[in-house]
Amino acid sequence: MTVGLPHVLTLAALLFGIGLYGALSRKNAVHVMMSLELMANAVNLNLVGFSRFVTPEAMTGQFFAVFSMVVSAAEIGLGLALVIAIYRRKRSVELDAVQELKG
Amino acid sequence: MSMDWVVLIPLLPALAFTVLAPLSRAARARLVPVAVAAVLGSLGLSIAAFLAVWPGGHDAVWQGSFTIAHIGDRAIPLGLALEPMSAIMLLVVTVVGACVQVYSLGYMHREDRIGWYYAVLSLFTAAMLALVLSDNFLGLFMAWEVMGLCSYLLIGFWHEQEAPRLASIKAFLTTKVGDLGFMLALAVVYAEVGAFDFATVLHHDWAAGTATLVALLMLFGAMGKSAQFPLHVWLPDAMAGPTPASALIHAATMVAAGVFLVVRAFPIFEVSGIALTITLWVGLLTALLAGLLATVQHDIKKVLAYSTISQLGFMFIALGAGGSTAALYHLVTHAYFKSLLFLGAGVIIHAAHTQDMREMGGLAKKLPVTSLAFASGSLALAGIVPFSGFWSKDEILTVLLHEHQYAAFAIALLAAFITAFYVARLWFRVFTAPTQQKELHEGHRSMLAPMVALAVITAVIGFFGPTLGDFLGHEIPWPALGTAAISTVAALGGIALGWYVYGRRTSVVNTQAIKQRFPHAYGVLANKYYFDLTYGYFVVGGYTALTRALATFDARVVDGVVNGAAAAWRSLSAAGWTFDGRVVDGAVNGAASAVKAAGDKVRTLQTGSVRGYQTLVAGAVVLLVIWILVKGA
Amino acid sequence: MSTTLPAVAFYLLAFAALYGAISMMSTRNVVHATVWLLEVMLATAGLYLVLDAEFLALVQVLVYAGAVAVLTLFTVMLTLRRREDAVRPFPTAWGSLAIAALFTGAMLLAIRGFCPVGVEMPAIVPGIEAFGRELFTTWMVPFEVASLVLLVALVGAVWWTGGDDR
Repeated sequence: MTVGLPHVLTLAALLFGIGLYGALSRKNAVHVMMSLELMANAVNLNLVGFSRFVTPEAMTGQFFAVFSMVVSAAEIGLGLALVIAIYRRKRSVELDAVQELKG
Repeated sequence: MSMDWVVLIPLLPALAFTVLAPLSRAARARLVPVAVAAVLGSLGLSIAAFLAVWPGGHDAVWQGSFTIAHIGDRAIPLGLALEPMSAIMLLVVTVVGACVQVYSLGYMHREDRIGWYYAVLSLFTAAMLALVLSDNFLGLFMAWEVMGLCSYLLIGFWHEQEAPRLASIKAFLTTKVGDLGFMLALAVVYAEVGAFDFATVLHHDWAAGTATLVALLMLFGAMGKSAQFPLHVWLPDAMAGPTPASALIHAATMVAAGVFLVVRAFPIFEVSGIALTITLWVGLLTALLAGLLATVQHDIKKVLAYSTISQLGFMFIALGAGGSTAALYHLVTHAYFKSLLFLGAGVIIHAAHTQDMREMGGLAKKLPVTSLAFASGSLALAGIVPFSGFWSKDEILTVLLHEHQYAAFAIALLAAFITAFYVARLWFRVFTAPTQQKELHEGHRSMLAPMVALAVITAVIGFFGPTLGDFLGHEIPWPALGTAAISTVAALGGIALGWYVYGRRTSVVNTQAIKQRFPHAYGVLANKYYFDLTYGYFVVGGYTALTRALATFDARVVDGVVNGAAAAWRSLSAAGWTFDGRVVDGAVNGAASAVKAAGDKVRTLQTGSVRGYQTLVAGAVVLLVIWILVKGA
Repeated sequence: MSTTLPAVAFYLLAFAALYGAISMMSTRNVVHATVWLLEVMLATAGLYLVLDAEFLALVQVLVYAGAVAVLTLFTVMLTLRRREDAVRPFPTAWGSLAIAALFTGAMLLAIRGFCPVGVEMPAIVPGIEAFGRELFTTWMVPFEVASLVLLVALVGAVWWTGGDDR
């Protein structure tokens, strides 16, 4: 039994799909943020997988994963701050309550 | 024959946890037998492991390790090893663990979160078994932390109530203070030796100074886990958890992990010397002061909790005097008789519906089996021959005499006298004092059977002391007649005093009068030497004061800088705004009106629904991906 | 080290990650969903270890399991007026499911069709030492920019959530 790049990529694709479903279907903003984190996580897994199998010495994928983590940490911080800001105004974290962009 | 099945001993309860934890409440409750079966399986395997190690000696019979990570060119392996000491501990943990789990079937059967209780109990058992089997400090530390988590979860099991919730947080934080010491010790060990496994670390050529540092840091960790002065404050409060969990975690196994750690690291302590002296005095202080506290408690579980602290102090005394085998011996006997006492207390609390000893009395007639089993445990705790506590306590006293620690010997003897006194107080108050309640029922069979088993072990295990010594590769002699006589006199004296004050039917000594004659002494004891108040005032209060000071600094200094920068920026942007309004706006407005006209046409597309936009974007991306794939193929 | 053991670890962790992700989607309680997300993150940290990315595994535990999960829990607590609000019914969204399934299917097809290298794991093991050296030489500038990104995010988050007087 061995582990190959396709195994890692398949796992990442499945995780990403589950995250995508959550991000699209959920009404609760916190839940949507969590689904986005799951997707980012799948992307990082992909990067690390490629790094391990394609560029084991340069570790390029690992560095990309580090920066991707920085960005998603910033994203979740801002996103959750936004959720709280919305909650202050609307008394709700349901995305359906936000309709300001209606033309 | 390959001995790799040893791995299964901690793995079986761990698997039981993984099966139970993700399920729903109802499904967990149905699968409780899985947890019981797992711990019984571990018990069987532990007996097999013990027989495989027999007749003992020094060497490990089996060892296995797995590399979890590489840092640079250094590998970090985690391994398990089966040797005499771990074989003994395996038996202690699995026997007490199995007894507690069977007992809990009866004790907790009305609880609707019984499944969760069993899941955490299994995780705890797995961690404790991994701790005793671990062949390196890192694995020991990991198991140690998992146990801390389980202890937190079980103390706070009834988290709907205020007291268990606060107690669980207190226990977690207090032990965490100690754990910090352990963690720093690990860092020093790794910096000095470059490895964690016992063989390398203990045979390292330690300089006395480094050894003292490591030993003291480890001692600090052990003091937190084993509730030694001054980090003992969490254990009495931890009694807010379910009684069988207290029996397993806060009497028999987890609190003994600190003693176990010191026994493991003993060669480092021996190099240091100073660390041994400090260990001795920590133990003496704890044994004496906690014993005194036990004499004024009214809650039956708190009496047992302070007694546990005091007995752990005895183990530290033995360690400090250089008798690691004696400490381990007392750890083993104490695990059996103290868990027995806790299980008995559980039956009593179930029957009497109170934990206050003043509302009990006359239980001996109503609960015959429990009272007999409790008697066995009490006599062992008091140190009466031939029950187990007598032999191991005598062993500790012998070590003290042998090392010419006469002051320590006297204090230990005094602590033994106090122990016998509070045991007698507990016994006479609960079992022989005038009956106060009518409806009293003996516990269920599933609760009595484990207690009887533990009572039998407590009654006979003392005769196997020398055998145990041979097994560990050290000597445990039969007690000398002189020491035995002195300690028996002390124990009988304590019991006699207890009987004189609390036991006589005709004229009960008015304890109120004693309290009034020595109000200061009683106040100090009743307030537990003001430890909780001191910590509350200085540590928690100090922290709050510090945060307040920092907040002031923030408001005065940091905000000032930020505000200044903001003001500068504001004036700059005001200048820009003027330019904007005159020149840029003119151009922009023209363009904007053109765009607005176009936008009016397009705005009907905008529904404003965030989720609608999301779906739109995701759908477009999916279409794009599929298009790329089709084009590429 | 044999190749079997990492493979077994990989499959166990992959199962744990998928199980956690599915549970996260199927639970109705936001708090439980957070705990499941935490489980997925920890399983991923384990996968990084299998893939010899020790540093990433540590960062994963610190950043995701430590910071992100706690932050999410805090947000959940701050935005719940009643305890019952944590539990919400959720109808299965067939449209979203279709899009997600379509995307996953396309990805799986792509992996089958375009996978660039063979099955064997390269023998060269990336080390954490080399990682550190690279990070502070080749990737120095992006590293500093990343810290700026975090600073801006921090200020922004404080601004948005700050007191009511704004």
